[in-house]
Amino acid sequence: MDGVLGHLMALERDGMGQQDQHESQRLEMLKVRAVTLRAQRDQLKHQADAVKVRRILKDKISKDLPLDDVDAAGGFIDLQKSLLTAWRMQLKDLQRAHHLIGGYDLVECKEGKSVCVSFHTAFEGVYLETYNMELDLTRTVQISRHNIPPSFPLESIAKQILQKDLKAFLQTLSQKLNAFAGRRQQVCLLKELVGSVEVMESNQLCNILVLMCTAQGETPKAVLCTLEYGDLTQCLPTRVSIECEDKTLSESPQWKKNQSLLLESPAHTALLTMRRMGSIA
Amino acid sequence: MEQKYEEEIQMLQQEIEMLEAEQEETLRSIFIEHGDRLQHELLCLVFEEGGGEQDLSILITEVRELEKDLRRQTEINGIALNECFVKTLHKSERKLVQQLRLAGHCSVLLFQVEFAVTEIQEDDALRRRVTELNIVVDGVEFKDFSAFVSRVEDTKDLLLFFRTLRTFSERCEERRQTFQHFQEKYPDVVSLPEGCRSELMIIRSPQLPGTSMTIFWKIDVSMEGVVKPSLELLLKMSDQAREFDTKKVMENGSNYFQSLLQILGVEASIEGLIRTMFVRSHKTSQRSRRGNFIPNLLFDINTCTITR
Repeated sequence: MDGVLGHLMALERDGMGQQDQHESQRLEMLKVRAVTLRAQRDQLKHQADAVKVRRILKDKISKDLPLDDVDAAGGFIDLQKSLLTAWRMQLKDLQRAHHLIGGYDLVECKEGKSVCVSFHTAFEGVYLETYNMELDLTRTVQISRHNIPPSFPLESIAKQILQKDLKAFLQTLSQKLNAFAGRRQQVCLLKELVGSVEVMESNQLCNILVLMCTAQGETPKAVLCTLEYGDLTQCLPTRVSIECEDKTLSESPQWKKNQSLLLESPAHTALLTMRRMGSIA
Repeated sequence: MEQKYEEEIQMLQQEIEMLEAEQEETLRSIFIEHGDRLQHELLCLVFEEGGGEQDLSILITEVRELEKDLRRQTEINGIALNECFVKTLHKSERKLVQQLRLAGHCSVLLFQVEFAVTEIQEDDALRRRVTELNIVVDGVEFKDFSAFVSRVEDTKDLLLFFRTLRTFSERCEERRQTFQHFQEKYPDVVSLPEGCRSELMIIRSPQLPGTSMTIFWKIDVSMEGVVKPSLELLLKMSDQAREFDTKKVMENGSNYFQSLLQILGVEASIEGLIRTMFVRSHKTSQRSRRGNFIPNLLFDINTCTITR
């Protein structure tokens, strides 16, 4: 009993010891973090105070007053610093703006022997995947690396345009990648938002989509909608066919309207409308 | 003890966030107020060799590099941004909300775009979306652009707007250059009543009063951003001339033009049209003086010659 109790007590002591160690380690970490943050805060505050001093000099500049007093001399470098910093901020904002509007974010690598470009894609305001590509510029323009999906007809596009006109190549690729991302996103959205519709068939390039909907009526009937995307630069189908065992249903004015909806608006939007109008389940 | 540190850390983090936000705003406001003067004054500093103080030289190098990069982006993107105002509405560790106002041009086409963007850092990825979009375009080329702009504002498709703007500006530039080329080459015969940036070109010869050919070069933009140029020919003949129009040139002229376009392309087809006027006026100046002129513009599509 003594032995066991003693053993247990020893274990307890050890345990507490470890916990103590843990605690003191954590305390140390917190202390260090607090000190670092304090330093950062102080530096920012110092910079902000310095700006207040520079405001006087700014005033002088805007009133076109001479800046060559002894007073201003030391502060002049500070002023230049803050002006340069402001200029840098504007340039960074401009870089970000180019990035946000879908620019290629061109970066020179290997001392100008190659460049890297990015293709940003978006659909209905939501930014989607970014695809990257390295182009080797040594003798002719060649694609050396990329992460564009293999199902994409990259080779044929490159063969047609890349050598003649780099910008046209980038533009065509960007157009097609965006359309592809848009079509793929529509499939995701319709699976998410319109659970009652089943995706029977879809392919890597997302240029064919076969959906099964349930038409509302006295007896619910299965309707097969086939969307063919003949134009790879577009997110909308070029052909929509409606098939149903019940011919009167597929020929009905309501379903003719549904066919137009599917041709004119994104798949998920069209199906949501159809559901809202009571056409499908 | 721990708690005291944790509280202090949280308070410091908040203070830092606030100070950083203030600093950004101050820098942006400095640029807005003194942007021009600033670049003028510092231009020599930045773009000449030579040092300056240690701290400054690092900044100067950074600014130089950034300017170089910006020129690169402007060139490859085909979009020049003259104005860029950024307002940060919310900034925290995981979320950023900003409003941007951009103004610039794509070749000669001017635009102004205002949009709001929200970025949320989720575990695996950065989710970014455009939540507001307002677009203003300016220029005589944009008269049929508004349906597209409305659609793009509704769908918040900022990227589609700029992709389409680029393609549209290329087609407009082709048209402008072609029109200008012909006006300079044949100033007596070709006129651009609405300027070289419009869609109208009129071909008239002083020797053939009452007869004119008007070319409409439209550049259509669908709501989905598909840019489609199309050319049409409108023939006008004086009543006198029309009496002699046995070959029905008035009726068939525009179809002939469409066939020409398919075979020869735009420039050669327009050149062909213009030359008929010349040929006419040279050969028949005698006749027209006697008022006995028979315009018989027959294009032989196969040999591309003009015969009576």
